Amino acid sequence: MAVAARSGWRLWRPSARGWLGVLLMGPSAIVVAFLIIYPLACALDLSFQKIRITRVGAARLPFTLDNYSRALASDDFWNAALVSLGFVILVTLGCFIVGVGCALLVNQRFPGRRIARLLVALPWAVPEVVAATIWAWMFDGSFGVINWMLLKLGLVNAPVAWLSQPHEAFAVCTIALIWSGYPFVAVMALAGLQAIPGELYEAAQMDGARAWQRFRHVTLPALRPVCAIALVLVVLRVVRDFATVFVITGGGPVGATRSLAVYTYEQAFSFYNIGYAAAVGLITLALCAAFSGMVVRKTVAP
Amino acid sequence: MKRGTLLPGLATFVVCALVLFPIWWMLVTAVAQPDDIRAFPPVFVPTHPSFAAFHTILFDRPMLRWIMNSLIVAGLSTALTMVLGVLGGYALSRFSSRVVRAAGMSVLLAKMIPTTLLVIPLYVLFREYGLLATLTSAALAHCTVTIPFAIWMLKAYFDSIPAELEEAAAIDGTTPLGALWRIVLPVSLPGLGATALYAFILSWNEFAFSRTLLFSEPSNWTVTIGIASIRGEYIISWNEIMAASAIVAVPIIIVFLWLERYLVVGLTAGAQK
Repeated sequence: MAVAARSGWRLWRPSARGWLGVLLMGPSAIVVAFLIIYPLACALDLSFQKIRITRVGAARLPFTLDNYSRALASDDFWNAALVSLGFVILVTLGCFIVGVGCALLVNQRFPGRRIARLLVALPWAVPEVVAATIWAWMFDGSFGVINWMLLKLGLVNAPVAWLSQPHEAFAVCTIALIWSGYPFVAVMALAGLQAIPGELYEAAQMDGARAWQRFRHVTLPALRPVCAIALVLVVLRVVRDFATVFVITGGGPVGATRSLAVYTYEQAFSFYNIGYAAAVGLITLALCAAFSGMVVRKTVAP
Repeated sequence: MKRGTLLPGLATFVVCALVLFPIWWMLVTAVAQPDDIRAFPPVFVPTHPSFAAFHTILFDRPMLRWIMNSLIVAGLSTALTMVLGVLGGYALSRFSSRVVRAAGMSVLLAKMIPTTLLVIPLYVLFREYGLLATLTSAALAHCTVTIPFAIWMLKAYFDSIPAELEEAAAIDGTTPLGALWRIVLPVSLPGLGATALYAFILSWNEFAFSRTLLFSEPSNWTVTIGIASIRGEYIISWNEIMAASAIVAVPIIIVFLWLERYLVVGLTAGAQK
């Protein structure tokens, strides 16, 4: 027993702790290496070959940068980049307006506040595919409830064929993405609001700050760090989104909603341009990494 | 009641009604009479609910099979995620060194990788190893999403448990793994449950990996592939699509309402870093 006790004790000593940590992290690291890092390396390798899906498993093709130069010269690629950029700007803006607005609202004191906090974040619990399907139904060209509302309000004269017109389809996808994305911003912003000490507001009030000034000079600065994190995560989510757009429009009509993610998928699994698709995906990843790095550096070292 | 408390309450009520309408509309359509679907003006409150659409979708379509497949995939990926997540989260919480932290951070970077990019090499590799279109392939792919988040969510939970318990056990001669198993895990059950549930939900909801890896084998479709495909595959009414959607979404909504406090921790886990 004494020996067991001593050997157990030895494992807890500082000299052993580092090794123990590595050992415990080991299994995850191995699985992540097999499922993420090695596949990423394969994707990089594929992107340097003029390869189609039927050729996979055959001998390695000669190194070429052709996929990248073809992407950068392709109208379809730039169109997809533009669509993604449009989604990122509009959806992020929408998520922050609705999300921070909801957080400010349920941060007030009123009866039923606890339930309101739950309900305001509820769209987060709806699976993306289901959310997209619901929006496709609500914006249905013939029997959709949105068309009925617009007709009733006199905003349109005839039912709108939402999903078969470029701008309209883009708008539907944007709304669906905002709807599933804003609860995250709301939850983050609410956590940030609750962390602001009440004395700050009292002090501001003593100094004669009006409601808007208190919001501008107390609330907003305090929310900045939380919002920076939320900004990165929302943008990444929009750039990486595949389910929402694919389910609602499949990228159409005429590529109006074909984001980089949908374009990558289409090239890989509809046209079997595996090497080219990998190149497009890696360019997307590089853009994501550059953006995240920029925002994180700006907020960590102000 | 003071005006100051009534106004935000009223505004919140209006906002909630607006943002929750799509969920309401899904439920209304799912129980609507077939004729009500085409009614102008639409029927906003079902006075004669009909459950025919649920019956059709469950018994005349492969819905039960899709549910079964989703349960298997989510179960497999959750099991693997929990084993690895507990070890990794414990390492980050108690035995953190530069190497461990670097591993933990790099795992977070997985959040940046587009699914549509990662699925390309996974497709190629799974095909090579004969796993393509099997439920295992989807479960493994889902782990690329669930493991990173589980490690950080569990780390946050373990951080909230005082290390004195284990120090006392260490003096009594317990090994670190013994302490984890006998002391830390039993008091972490709520955190473990929330993490497992969250991982399960992530896998249950996942679409891009499942659709790519499983599409060629309809008998292995999961619920998300099923719902996304019935619009085109079958001549089907919106009743049935919304009934299927409700079957998939309502359990998650209930879990969210019930365990929101725990799940929000997961929503923001790793985000603080």
